[in-house]
Amino acid sequence: MKLSSILPRLAISAALFVSISSCSENLDSSGACDVLCPSIGGSVQTVTIDAVVLDTTVQSLSGLGTEPALLLANRGDSLDTRVVIRFDSLPAKFVPKNDTSQDIKSVDSAYILLRLDTLDIKGADVVTIEAYDVDTTANDTSTADVLALFRPDRFISSQTYARSQLTDSLKYYIDNATVLSKLQNGQHLRVGLRATGTSSSQLVFFSVEGGQSPVMFFRATPDTATAPLTVTPFSKTPANESIVAQHLSDYTIIAKGPPEAPPSVLSVGGLPPRRIYVHFDIPSKIIDSSTVVRATLLLNQIPNNSLDPRDTIRVVPQVVLAGPAVTDPSKAAQIIANISADTLKITAGHGGNVDVELANAFNLWRTQKPDTLPRAIVLKSAVEGTSPIEMRFSSSEDISALRPRLRISYTTRVPLGLP
Amino acid sequence: MNRFSLVAAFAFVSASSALAQGALSTEGLGYPAGGISARAEGAGSGVADFDALSLTSPAAIAGVGSAAIYFQYSPEFRRVTTPGGHANTTTARFPVVLGVLPMGQSWTLGLSSSTFLDRSLETSLQRKEVIGADTDTVMVTERNNVLGAINDIRLALAWSGGPAFRIGVGGHIFAGSNRIRLSQLYPDSSKYISNAQIGRISYAGLAASVGLEYHPSRAIGFALAARKGGDLRAESGDTAIGSGRLPDHYSGSITFEGLPGTVISARLAHDSWSSLSTLSSSGLQAFDGWDGGLGIEASGPRLLQRIITVRAGARFRTLPFGQPNATASQVCTPAGFCTDVQFQSGSAKVSERSFAAGLGIPLTRDRAALDVSFQRATRDAGTDVKERGFILSFGLRVSP
Repeated sequence: MKLSSILPRLAISAALFVSISSCSENLDSSGACDVLCPSIGGSVQTVTIDAVVLDTTVQSLSGLGTEPALLLANRGDSLDTRVVIRFDSLPAKFVPKNDTSQDIKSVDSAYILLRLDTLDIKGADVVTIEAYDVDTTANDTSTADVLALFRPDRFISSQTYARSQLTDSLKYYIDNATVLSKLQNGQHLRVGLRATGTSSSQLVFFSVEGGQSPVMFFRATPDTATAPLTVTPFSKTPANESIVAQHLSDYTIIAKGPPEAPPSVLSVGGLPPRRIYVHFDIPSKIIDSSTVVRATLLLNQIPNNSLDPRDTIRVVPQVVLAGPAVTDPSKAAQIIANISADTLKITAGHGGNVDVELANAFNLWRTQKPDTLPRAIVLKSAVEGTSPIEMRFSSSEDISALRPRLRISYTTRVPLGLP
Repeated sequence: MNRFSLVAAFAFVSASSALAQGALSTEGLGYPAGGISARAEGAGSGVADFDALSLTSPAAIAGVGSAAIYFQYSPEFRRVTTPGGHANTTTARFPVVLGVLPMGQSWTLGLSSSTFLDRSLETSLQRKEVIGADTDTVMVTERNNVLGAINDIRLALAWSGGPAFRIGVGGHIFAGSNRIRLSQLYPDSSKYISNAQIGRISYAGLAASVGLEYHPSRAIGFALAARKGGDLRAESGDTAIGSGRLPDHYSGSITFEGLPGTVISARLAHDSWSSLSTLSSSGLQAFDGWDGGLGIEASGPRLLQRIITVRAGARFRTLPFGQPNATASQVCTPAGFCTDVQFQSGSAKVSERSFAAGLGIPLTRDRAALDVSFQRATRDAGTDVKERGFILSFGLRVSP
């Protein structure tokens, strides 16, 4: 019997097809797991322990002007903050269109373009922003010295905005003569902004650190064919400290901050901004000999109704990277790293239990011994330095039921091997 | 038994157990691929003890004729059906690699490696777990992945005193490993830490085998083979985690070649798999089992000037590792007083029935040959879990 030549070709093609399609394994038997796949992993045990050996409130020492936004607030007895913008380098010359460089002899239409965060505006009525000349030969980082310059003889200009005029690009017109005088005399133009008005107001402007710095525009000639000049914030002081000087190109100063929490209470946020430092003593058998699947810091929040009690603030847990050599919690609380993309959203007026998830900190601690990396975390506000809202929590000095505690869920490692 | 009493005994089978591994055939230490060639598979394994390319009898290599190397690829397409669903899987196996070298007229040396127990599986199970506060429940995905096998590496020497009689001996090294990865995956990485454990088990053991073939006439042949198993040790790292004994194996076969161009063969083998029961951390039960096969091989049609061999056969065998189950019983009187329910754990034997067909295609003037076989295997343990497998085998023999 002789077969045609088509049949063997078909058979070989089919065999090749099957061979190739079966080269990639698919071992997943999950579809039959209702019967054939019982749980192998160990059961999860949960313990709640008093693991906190030190908890304290520390100042955020990141420095003046490091905040990503500038807070201009006029909230009566509760809050008064000002904004300082330094233009220490002003142009003396300009180039008219189709002409050569010339000395600036006039200033027209000078204004500072402020990038306003319209989501954080507080106050429904009009707000007046006054500008003062805060350039001084005295200690220019002293809050008291700078605040003393917000006085009538230093007054530059004033502008009033209705609520509807508060857009994301806010033009604040400044006195042309002042700008001309400063640039002709080679002086620094340091503008202090102050909000005033009959009712409370609070505005947040993006800063140099926030990536959208204020910019000053002015015309050196009435000829509109010549483009206006732009001046960005710049600070010449302190000399030889360029990073600090850059931070000081725009910053917020606090004339009056909200009341601070009592010393026995842990607080995060507020003005000046504060952080909570918590150091744990965790039994090594939990970290070393088992697999932690969840860890939660249990806090008792104390309501703080002093300022915006219904506003939500995001609190970010951070792991402390400072080694044991850094014994000062306030310094250790500055050497930190983010451990979670998620944040804790709470309102200052809320009271009761708050859970802070620390699973990712345990991931790190499992790889490092406590004598290398202390088991410590920091809680900080995501809007540190730009929001006056302060959250308060019971500390370990409180009664037992309200103290911070650590709840750890873990499984013991399953011996893998023989069936 | 008191005549006023009534025995109300019942039993149930619960397939769930900590031992179950996603399929009936991958229970315990794994699936025994068998060490037989694609040719023998196509003939229901009946011809295995006479087949030089199968590894069941060391005497068979004396019939190889010329030096040969052989390589086999056998993917299995499996479907497991349970009351709650089904799973389709594909397992790629390379169960036989063989080199045979005739040395003079009478002696033949063979070196081979075959898959003894293939433990390749992956399961994924979701379960609800309370983690943290009493009201915090989360779905945990538990993924279990095991890859690896115990392999049988055999060095065989066979002597042939002519076409009527062959005898061979083999030394076996059983070696291999299982790589195990157990992952517990949680949905929210900001709250939970997913984790994975990785383990590796190494196996090592020795065995010896002997086989003989006798052909009293051209029409009929007999073969006997036996393998005596030594200790099989399991280690994790440098730590011994268990030991068992490699199963003894006995087989007897007969062939009938009285019809021109036709070979009818039958084989019956016994494996003492229960000696592996001690190689378990959880009371795994292994069963001794019979392995029987019957097949026919005949010269078929001519294809491209080549004579194709066609094969068909059937095979029945008991797989070494049972499906774990539990039974419960209770005795009650007519008055309604009952004893406590007695639970007993155990395993249900898994049997495999397969029907096979195959082709043998000579290539390049008989200097090479391609054997293709197709098996349809059904496996069950007397429970509501059913398993069906389609095993394709491609074996290529080349005589350099």
